[in-house]
Amino acid sequence: MYTLTPRCHLQPVRRSPPPSLSVPSRADRDELRSTWPQRAWTLAGTAAILSSLSTSASLVAAGSSSPAEPLAAALAAYSLADLATGVYHWFVDNYGDASTPVFGAQITAFQGHHRHPYTITFREPCNNLHALARGAALALTPVDAALSAAGSTSAAAHAFVGAFAACVVLSQQFHAWAHEKRRRLPPGVEALQSAGVLVSRAQHAAHHSQPYNTNYCIVSGMWNGLLDRYKVFEALEMVVYFRTGIRPRSWDETDASWKEDTGAENAAAATAGNDGLLQTAGISSD
Amino acid sequence: MAFTPSTACCKPSLALAPRASSRGSAARAQAALLCTPSTSAFRGLRRPASAAPAPRWRRSAASTGIVCGKVSKGIVPPNFTLKDQNGKPVSLNKFKGKPVVVYFYPADETPGCTKQACAFRDSYEKFKKAGAEVIGISGDDAASHKAFAQKYRLPFTLLSDEGNRVRKEWGVPGDLFGTLPGRQTYVLDKQGVVQYIYNNQFQPEKHIGETLKILQSL
Repeated sequence: MYTLTPRCHLQPVRRSPPPSLSVPSRADRDELRSTWPQRAWTLAGTAAILSSLSTSASLVAAGSSSPAEPLAAALAAYSLADLATGVYHWFVDNYGDASTPVFGAQITAFQGHHRHPYTITFREPCNNLHALARGAALALTPVDAALSAAGSTSAAAHAFVGAFAACVVLSQQFHAWAHEKRRRLPPGVEALQSAGVLVSRAQHAAHHSQPYNTNYCIVSGMWNGLLDRYKVFEALEMVVYFRTGIRPRSWDETDASWKEDTGAENAAAATAGNDGLLQTAGISSD
Repeated sequence: MAFTPSTACCKPSLALAPRASSRGSAARAQAALLCTPSTSAFRGLRRPASAAPAPRWRRSAASTGIVCGKVSKGIVPPNFTLKDQNGKPVSLNKFKGKPVVVYFYPADETPGCTKQACAFRDSYEKFKKAGAEVIGISGDDAASHKAFAQKYRLPFTLLSDEGNRVRKEWGVPGDLFGTLPGRQTYVLDKQGVVQYIYNNQFQPEKHIGETLKILQSL
C-alpha cells in the first residue's frame, strides 16, 4: 500500500533563509546578575552625576545664582532627556545590526529586549544601568570639568548636564518598571507612572506591538504623543530613505529576530511553575 | 513650529500641513494614522540604483513669499508620455474626455504611499462611478511599479517619471525644505483643465476623500 522512497530520491528540503540577524536567545540567569565591573561603572556614573549636581548646589549656596535657575534647567533637562531617549531608541530599533560600529552591541541588546521584553525586570540594577552609567562617567566628567575650568558660575549649566545624565542613566530603570507587574513595583512608582512623571506601562506596551514604530521615549514619555501625532519619526525615516536608500525596519514585516518570542515563553509556562520567570507577555496587565 | 497647519493655498511647503487649492478653502492638519508595515521584497535593501537620486527641489519665492506650482487651478497642464507599470507609454492626452485624478507620490513601498495607493484602490469604484481615471506618478521605474501594483492589487495606472521631469514641470512642491518629494494630487476635468490641487504629505488617505468630493461636483 505504501512505498518507501529512498532518501536520495527525495526532493531536497526547502529551508527558509537564515534570518539576517541571529535570533537572540533568552538570557541565562547569570547574565542578569551584576558583575563587579558593572557595579564599578554604575558607581562611576553616579559619582559623576552627583558631582555635577552638588557643584550646582554649592554655587546656589554661595549666592552666585538663585535656586530657580538650576531647578528650571533640571526640568528642561528632564524633558530633553525624554526626547533624547526617543531619538536614540528610534535609531537603534530601525537601523544597523550587530556588526554596526559603536552601536552594534546596543542594537543587539535592543533586539534581545524586543524578543524577550520581560527579561529586563530580572536584571539586577547595575546589570541594567551600567552601560548608560559608563557613558555618563565618560561624557559628563569632562563636560563638568570644562564648565568649571571656563570659570562658569552658572549653577543652571551644572544642573542641566547633571540632571540630563541622571535621567538618561535612570531611563533604563524607568524602562524596567514599565515592564514590571504592578504589584512588584516599588512604592510610589505606579503613582509616578500614572501621573506621567515616569513612562507608563500602557504607553510603553504600545511600543512593543508591531510594527514597533511608536512610543519610543522612555523617561517620562511626554514627547511620545507629539512625536507620534505629527509623524516626526516617519518624516525622519523618509528623509533617511531618500538620502541614503536605507529602509528602516519598521516599514516592513517585523523580522522574526526582532519579534517578541511568545511561543517559547508559553511553552515554558506550561511545563514549569516559576512565577517570576514565566511571563507570556512583556507587559503585565495587572 | 515646522508642523503648524497651513491655511493658505500654494504656500511654501515648509509645513507638513495639507494644502488645498480650490475655492480658497484649506483643511487643517488632523491626528494622523500610522502606516501599516508591509512585507516587502526590498526589506533591508537599499533603494534600487536605477531609481533617480533625490533631486534638489528648486524653489522660487515671490516677494510675498508664496510659492505657486507651475500647474495651477484653471490651466491645462502640459501633456506628458510616461511608461506605465507594464512598460507601455501612456500619454495624459489619452484621457481627454473624462475626469482624471493625477497623484504624485514620493516612492513605492513607503508607508504613506502604500496607504495612499490602497486607499485609492479601496475607493476605486467610486472614482469609476464618477467616470474618472486615477493615475499615480513617482520617480520609481516600471519594475518597481509593477511589483507595487501586483502586491497591493492596484487597479489603476502607475507611471514612471524618470528623473522626476514631469514633477518638476508641473511644479509639485517638495517638503521639509526640499528633502522629500511632495505628495500632491490634481483633479482634471473632462476638458483637461485643473480644477483642484490637494497637497498633504503625512495624511495620505485624505487625498481620496478630498478629490472624490470635487469629482462629484464636476
